[in-house]
Amino acid sequence: MATIFPFFEWCEKTALFRVISTHESLFPALETLHLFGLVLLLGTTVILCLRLLGVIMAKQPVPELAGELANYTASGLALMLSSGALMFVATAVRNYSNTSFWVKMMFLAAALIFHFAYFRKVIRMDDLGMARWHGKLAAWGALILWFGVALSGRSIGFLG
Amino acid sequence: MYLLEFCKMLDKSAIGTAIRESSLLFPVIEGVHVLALALSVGLILITDLRLIGVVLRKRPVSEVWEQFFPWMMAGFAVMFTTGFLLFWSHAMAAYNSMAFRVKLLLLILSAANAAVYHLTVYRKMDRWDTALIPPAGARLAGWVSLIFWAGIITMGRIMAYTF
Repeated sequence: MATIFPFFEWCEKTALFRVISTHESLFPALETLHLFGLVLLLGTTVILCLRLLGVIMAKQPVPELAGELANYTASGLALMLSSGALMFVATAVRNYSNTSFWVKMMFLAAALIFHFAYFRKVIRMDDLGMARWHGKLAAWGALILWFGVALSGRSIGFLG
Repeated sequence: MYLLEFCKMLDKSAIGTAIRESSLLFPVIEGVHVLALALSVGLILITDLRLIGVVLRKRPVSEVWEQFFPWMMAGFAVMFTTGFLLFWSHAMAAYNSMAFRVKLLLLILSAANAAVYHLTVYRKMDRWDTALIPPAGARLAGWVSLIFWAGIITMGRIMAYTF
């Protein structure tokens, strides 16, 4: 990892770093936007997972529900990634030596791959054509990975 | 003052001190408080958006409400329990925090908004349950709720800086 440390140092030499670190209220504002994104992304994901597990909205076909929520999930993800990237730039060097940060990045990479390569495909499958284990695997996988991102993210500031 | 005495008592209590001074208890309770946002405010968000008439329009409002309600309540039970424990451990800091006062006020106002909605437009729901876009009163309740909850999250985040 030593090879990418210069990137972390470079982040703190950018104009963006100076702007965020000189305006006291910007970082809390970014954290708040990050939480709004969490409500959108995890809120809609939880609804889809509960539907895949067959506990809510059983009358509504999964692909229809997924289509209805797609824009909100996507907005939440966009909000989280953009506010998260800005917070990263503002704390880059500290993040490098923070174990929780690296755990979060592992969870995030796994969650994104799982989401785009599998979860999104499963929620678009026809109910009748979908083997039930796909629904269960997609739901539990998404819940564990996204909550893993959230929990390790929360511990960046606490446990280091 | 009564409220001040109550906060002082909580702050000094064994449980309050234990949570405040534990390097693990406070972060864990706060982590659960943040994670439960997905279930509590996440479901409120989609319910409000249905009331505003922008999502799940093919489903009756009552169906969305009934399906979400038990999970939303579970989410709020976790939010209030963890929230109260966090307050318990920092009662004096919370007492002196303007953000915490605004947060409490917004919580009361959103409960009032929900009560007004249930006593008015909700009573005539059989007339508009399946409407793609619910009547103005219902849309207003949805918007007010969204704005209040955005404020509650913002105040909660700001408040943590004063602890």
